[in-house]
Amino acid sequence: MLTVTRSRPRNGFIEMALALNTIHVDFTQHRVVIMNGKPLVRMRGITKHFPGVMALHKVDLDLYPGEVHALVGENGSGKSTLCKCLYGMHTPDEGTIEIDGKVTEIGSPTRALQLGIAAITQELTLAPPLSVTENILMGRLPMGRFGIDWKKAHALAREALDQVGAIIDETCQVSSLNVELQQEVEIARAVSTKSRVLILDEATSSLSEDATERLMVKIKQLMSQGVAIVFISHRLKEIFQCCQRATVLRDGEWVDVLDVDGTSETELVSKMVGRTMEDLYGKRPIEIGDKLLEVKNLCTIDYTVKNVSFEVRRGEILGLAALVGSGKIQLGKALFGAIPAVGDVFLDGKPVRLGAPTRGMIAGIGFVPDDRKNGALMLCRSIRHNLSLPWMMTPDFCRFGLVRTRAEMMLANECMRQFAVRAPSLNTQIVNLSGGNQQKVILARCFAMKPQIVVLAEPTRGIDVGAKSEVYGFIQDLAEQGTGIIMISSELTELLGLADRVLVMYQGELCGEYDPRVASEEDIAHAACTGKVLVRGD
Amino acid sequence: MTTVSRENVSNSTSGVSGVDKGKAGFVLKRNRDAGSLSIWQRPSVGRLGGVIIGLVAVCVYMGATNPLFLTWGNILNIFRAQSVIFILAIGMTFVVLCGMLDLSVASATGVASMVLGMSIEAGTGPIIAIILAVIAGLLLGLINGFLVGIVRISWFVTTLATLSIYASMILAVTRGSTISLFKYDSFKIIQHLANRDIGPVPIVLIAIIAMYLISWFVLQRTTFGRAVYAVGANPEAARLNGINVPFTLMVVFAIAGITCGVGAIQQTGRLTAAVPTTDPNQMLAVIAAVLIGGMSLKGGEGGLLGTFLGTLFLGVIQNSLTLQGISAFWQGTVTGSILILAAGLAVMRQSEFDTKLGRNLRALFKGKKS
Repeated sequence: MLTVTRSRPRNGFIEMALALNTIHVDFTQHRVVIMNGKPLVRMRGITKHFPGVMALHKVDLDLYPGEVHALVGENGSGKSTLCKCLYGMHTPDEGTIEIDGKVTEIGSPTRALQLGIAAITQELTLAPPLSVTENILMGRLPMGRFGIDWKKAHALAREALDQVGAIIDETCQVSSLNVELQQEVEIARAVSTKSRVLILDEATSSLSEDATERLMVKIKQLMSQGVAIVFISHRLKEIFQCCQRATVLRDGEWVDVLDVDGTSETELVSKMVGRTMEDLYGKRPIEIGDKLLEVKNLCTIDYTVKNVSFEVRRGEILGLAALVGSGKIQLGKALFGAIPAVGDVFLDGKPVRLGAPTRGMIAGIGFVPDDRKNGALMLCRSIRHNLSLPWMMTPDFCRFGLVRTRAEMMLANECMRQFAVRAPSLNTQIVNLSGGNQQKVILARCFAMKPQIVVLAEPTRGIDVGAKSEVYGFIQDLAEQGTGIIMISSELTELLGLADRVLVMYQGELCGEYDPRVASEEDIAHAACTGKVLVRGD
Repeated sequence: MTTVSRENVSNSTSGVSGVDKGKAGFVLKRNRDAGSLSIWQRPSVGRLGGVIIGLVAVCVYMGATNPLFLTWGNILNIFRAQSVIFILAIGMTFVVLCGMLDLSVASATGVASMVLGMSIEAGTGPIIAIILAVIAGLLLGLINGFLVGIVRISWFVTTLATLSIYASMILAVTRGSTISLFKYDSFKIIQHLANRDIGPVPIVLIAIIAMYLISWFVLQRTTFGRAVYAVGANPEAARLNGINVPFTLMVVFAIAGITCGVGAIQQTGRLTAAVPTTDPNQMLAVIAAVLIGGMSLKGGEGGLLGTFLGTLFLGVIQNSLTLQGISAFWQGTVTGSILILAAGLAVMRQSEFDTKLGRNLRALFKGKKS
């Protein structure tokens, strides 16, 4: 029933993992699974609601001492939420958590730490203005006779850093470190708490190969000390390297728990995805017209984007791939005018003035921000008000400063129908919609402005697969009308599946252009990671 | 309300059962729409429910125990006593909708009142004096708006600073003396506006209702009103969708300034003097009224109906305390407690209130309702 139709799974998550994997650590000889004895943590029937989504629905998880347990699933399948329930960030609506056989209400991260549960999360939780020592020993700085015993504190921090092999000066300020080093500080902190349960939620996503390797060694060591580790990673190879068991989640529901050793990658993927992936993109042949947008030497004021030049044609979907923090989102924002930038941008031959969103809108550039909550939606307002936000000022919808409610309602209804937004009514608060429907509202309002160029930043982040394939359809509908589309995404498969051309950025500069029909994800991932075009051996 | 909820229920059930699992191959995430929210989580009910229940409860109790309370004269008294707060609260509503507060309202009202008094003293006609007072309020509001919206100093620092600047300006200009106005003929009209009735209804009540209706129309029907809500709900989204956020903030503070000017006319008319000291309780009362009316300090939520009810509620409480012979010194305690209650209610109905206490309280309410 669960079949994967292609020889290689067409899934963003997996392919990214395959593509990005360049680590070769062999841990096979250390794979000692001790699954006897009682579980350290037993989570039963964990259910968690958020407004608009059921994040978890009756999920079970057992953790035995000395095991590395992988949580696998697609984006938004509830892995992080489950972890947050375990380390006390969220309290489950239903279900029980047993620790050492006793039902425990964790309640807060502090309590979790007392119970011996430490977590390293996707979002960094360091205090940037404080020193590395203060961050590592946060809440447990050693006291001397006259306040804090700094000598001892620094020594303890040094020890914690040495434990994970991090080469960081313990006295420097955290804000002076780059993201990778900050992540290492975070790992050192979690490890130094000597917890019995360690949660690594995408801890490796911002680490280099070298640091990941060191973390793997540390994980092996902790394992032998009987620590239970929950491991989440986008890189599937890492899971096969260090994990014994894997719990599969899909759309917030528990699917299966597998023995990693006896499972193939395809098997794991089909469990995660739970469906055939053939028609997710539904790429249609769209006729590409003449040159529409020309960008020459675009630089943002803060130099996150440096001297970028490219062009987009009518009906073309241009993909933009890069690692997080390489300036791809800034490039989109700069084009639209959301952040200050300099450079020459010509739309249909006419120069576009940069620097203010209104200028971008008037010129015919649409922008869908990457951050739905903070950048796009008015969460406490209705669908109607969210929909009409950009166009209520246009002459069609306002007369002498008054909103023409009837026209507004008509277009809003039309948007709802066309984009199949599933909601009780136009007056429903947008916070009560699921992520996919929220995203459809944002796309609808942007497309209703009839832009000539649309910049889509992470258009499918955090939405379920059904909504994803719908969104791909809408994007292609728009392209068919002759609109040029710039699609910025972290999911390489999505870019390869949908784009006509893929540009790769590295540290603010364009470093390569690929044709998705011939390029593989390895090529693109390699360019995005190193800035150099991969030269094949053959 | 009922029709909406019925629609929601039918929609959500059909939505779940209507999914073709086999074909689509994925399950629709259960959408907790408005139909499945607890009554306290419904936006309008949760916002206004508390103040309406409070208002009705106090009125019923007072009506039953004190025969004076529900007389026409006493009701008008309540409106008269709260008239300045009613007017100032309109401007404050605009500011709070943007997620900010204007701490300088009382001082600005004082300055406008001084301008009114001095111009009457200098021998201008009443209409010129009124216009000057409103312009003074507008200018003070524009200063706030310029600093907050365009210079981008935080609203707290700006309005705290202007609170003290405006207050000291009055003292400096008048050298601390009250301008007594009852002897001036040209002041008579202003005094009448503030105190006289048309038929059974005070002029000021008509004016207040008109101002609320106009402001309501501005907030609900104009693009500017939409922009105010948008700026409060999510300034970044507003900016990215072509709304001029600095300009909106400036106009919002200017509106608050205008209401200070209008409030000053009423205040001076009632006191028949321009007083050089400002009453810090006035600022607190205005903020309390707006917050009791169910507005969120985060902005983007609520409206003028809540403000009206909140101000009325405060007035009813003060009136009741007086009628019951409770010392006026306790008024601050009562107002403060009600504010805490209102804020507590607001926090409780938010699903983010994810603590043990919050869950237990929510469970308690859910249990009672179902």
